[in-house]
Amino acid sequence: MDDEAGRVGSGAGLRSAPKTPPDLGLAAEATLPAARGGRGTAFRLSRGALCSLPVGLTLLLGFVAPLATVAAYAFATPKSFDVFRSFTLVNFAAIFDPANTVWQSFAWSLGLAVLTVVALAVVAYPIAWGLARSFGRWSGFISVLFVFPLFVSENVRLYGWTLFFLKNGVLDGTLKLVGGAGPEVLYTPGAILFGMVYVYLPFMLFPMTLGLAMVPKDLVEAARDLGASRLLIWREIELPLATPGVLIGMLLTFVLAVGAVAESKVLGGQSVIVITHDIEIAFTYAQNWPLGSALALLLTVIVGALSLTALAKLDLDRILGRR
Amino acid sequence: MTTVTKRHALKLLGGAALAAPFAGALPAFAARESELNILCWEGYNSAQVLDPFRSAKSATVKAESLTNDPTMINRLRAGETKVWDLINVNNPWARKAMYPEGLIKPLPKAEFEPFFDKMLPQFKAPYRWAMSDDGKDLLGMAQRFGPYSFVVNTDKVSRKTAEEQGWELFNDPSLKGKYGILESDDWNVFNIFMIAGINPFKVHDAAEMATFGETAKKVFGGAKLVGDIAAMNQALVSGEIDLHMTGGTYSVSPARADGHPELRAVTPLKGPIDGKGGISWIEITSTVNNPNLSPLAAEFLKYVQDPKVAHTVAFAEGTFNPVAQMGNKACFDLFTKEELDAIQWDSLEEEMSRSAEYDIVPDYDKALEIMTSAKRTKG
Repeated sequence: MDDEAGRVGSGAGLRSAPKTPPDLGLAAEATLPAARGGRGTAFRLSRGALCSLPVGLTLLLGFVAPLATVAAYAFATPKSFDVFRSFTLVNFAAIFDPANTVWQSFAWSLGLAVLTVVALAVVAYPIAWGLARSFGRWSGFISVLFVFPLFVSENVRLYGWTLFFLKNGVLDGTLKLVGGAGPEVLYTPGAILFGMVYVYLPFMLFPMTLGLAMVPKDLVEAARDLGASRLLIWREIELPLATPGVLIGMLLTFVLAVGAVAESKVLGGQSVIVITHDIEIAFTYAQNWPLGSALALLLTVIVGALSLTALAKLDLDRILGRR
Repeated sequence: MTTVTKRHALKLLGGAALAAPFAGALPAFAARESELNILCWEGYNSAQVLDPFRSAKSATVKAESLTNDPTMINRLRAGETKVWDLINVNNPWARKAMYPEGLIKPLPKAEFEPFFDKMLPQFKAPYRWAMSDDGKDLLGMAQRFGPYSFVVNTDKVSRKTAEEQGWELFNDPSLKGKYGILESDDWNVFNIFMIAGINPFKVHDAAEMATFGETAKKVFGGAKLVGDIAAMNQALVSGEIDLHMTGGTYSVSPARADGHPELRAVTPLKGPIDGKGGISWIEITSTVNNPNLSPLAAEFLKYVQDPKVAHTVAFAEGTFNPVAQMGNKACFDLFTKEELDAIQWDSLEEEMSRSAEYDIVPDYDKALEIMTSAKRTKG
């Protein structure tokens, strides 16, 4: 694109402007100077390109630049700040060293994320169905109830659950009053999973509700009129048509859950070490930014590959109602 | 449609190219008389400490608090010397890392050394950790300090037992599942060496490292939880745990001040660092080697020496700690009996005398790697 603009710019008047300029895109296109009455060759930005400039720049600065920096650090000399000045694969060699147990952290993060997604699919489906189909005018109010916790810091909410499950806390204390005792929930992988399911529920619920809302009611009614059982209607009509929303919910929660760290720290008492915690240790106590970056890059690649595979199965145009 | 002529674009590009080499130098010409940036442990960033200074100097004071020394030092190493004016970290870093690496600059001795005369006896000038290796340069000012080994609930483990058994408590199978570990990995490295009966602040041979690894596995395997200060105090109060390692006045003082005098920081009577059983820390605040250092940096260092401000620093939000300025009667008298109880003033002197001062572990990287692996395999 730059080459094109450069060539055009260096040869004034060599090419005329296309008859139908593109609406979008950052490509600068050439115009005949005479057309504007100017002397030099001009770069023209279409209105679409101009409007997309802020977004483009924001993405470039806020998304691409940090990612590029992390990628560059991943190939820098360990325990140094020689970013863009050195290139080595030592950080990756350290990660893939058979003696390194960091794979366990990757396994815990990916495993917990998968379990979270499965648990959320089961928990959120009936609620989403209710929101889309049966809660009627209460749907808005119920939706707000699920959104409301998002206004409170995640750490505060997790500490709240700690107080709930703690020895002599809300649950244990209440059960003791009636002669029982609370279960040993805190500081276990189960507590981490519970925290993740709780925190990411809204992120599964709303795309799923959107998916279910897209299922035409008359199609379900027609199936019912033709004698299809509830299970058959769910399996043959409702689920396939709601799948895009369900998949988006799954994808969203999976990506968020892989990056979760607060749950393992606060509710799990670090009973397991997730990969994001390892990255944090590398950046802080270990003073090894290149190793932290290599771990982060590897995690990004794994999650990116899994996400792209899932996205390939989605038809976003259809979900967004464009066709 | 908006049109940008080639000439215009070239002019812009040319201008940017010419300006680029000077872009980094631009802040050097900016006035910083009314601006101060502090990188510190929590407390110095509290409004109680900063607001009076802001008002008095009509200054914009920004303070960022972090919870471990290596992260703060790394920020300077990564190029943030241009950003910060003051850095507040524990004792060995100024003398052993930041000054040799050119990250901080010395203070004018004549102006600052007299402040040490009013500090507690052990901080009198020339205070070792405030000076450069050759003893010529003054590298920072001392303020908060404290012993830091472990904390017990004395209703469950008596102070006498804890002091006499010391680190052996964490080798006791009967306490498995009854203790926590503070999420403070640099200090956890020290403590695991101590539990293994090895002096952490020396170079270790392979056999010592193997012992360290075994100890780390055992200690993390037996821990009920690993968490932050709030989690540790909460677990002690609720009875989830009876004791936790890596802790001291700093971590337990908020719980003591909140009505739990049964929780107590303990320093073992004996241990592997030349016979000393505990480790203590002393914060040293230094001026960053900022090419455009704010003149308020030195002003702030003097400001926090004031008895009232020093008392505020001791009881700033988060944790409560003794300060070197308690050697000044005007400062000491500001502490109430409850405040002195919270910081365990009754045993502070003896506990400090049983403690070796926090130092840098020469093979810390290797030890941290071994410890992190042990922590990971616990799951």
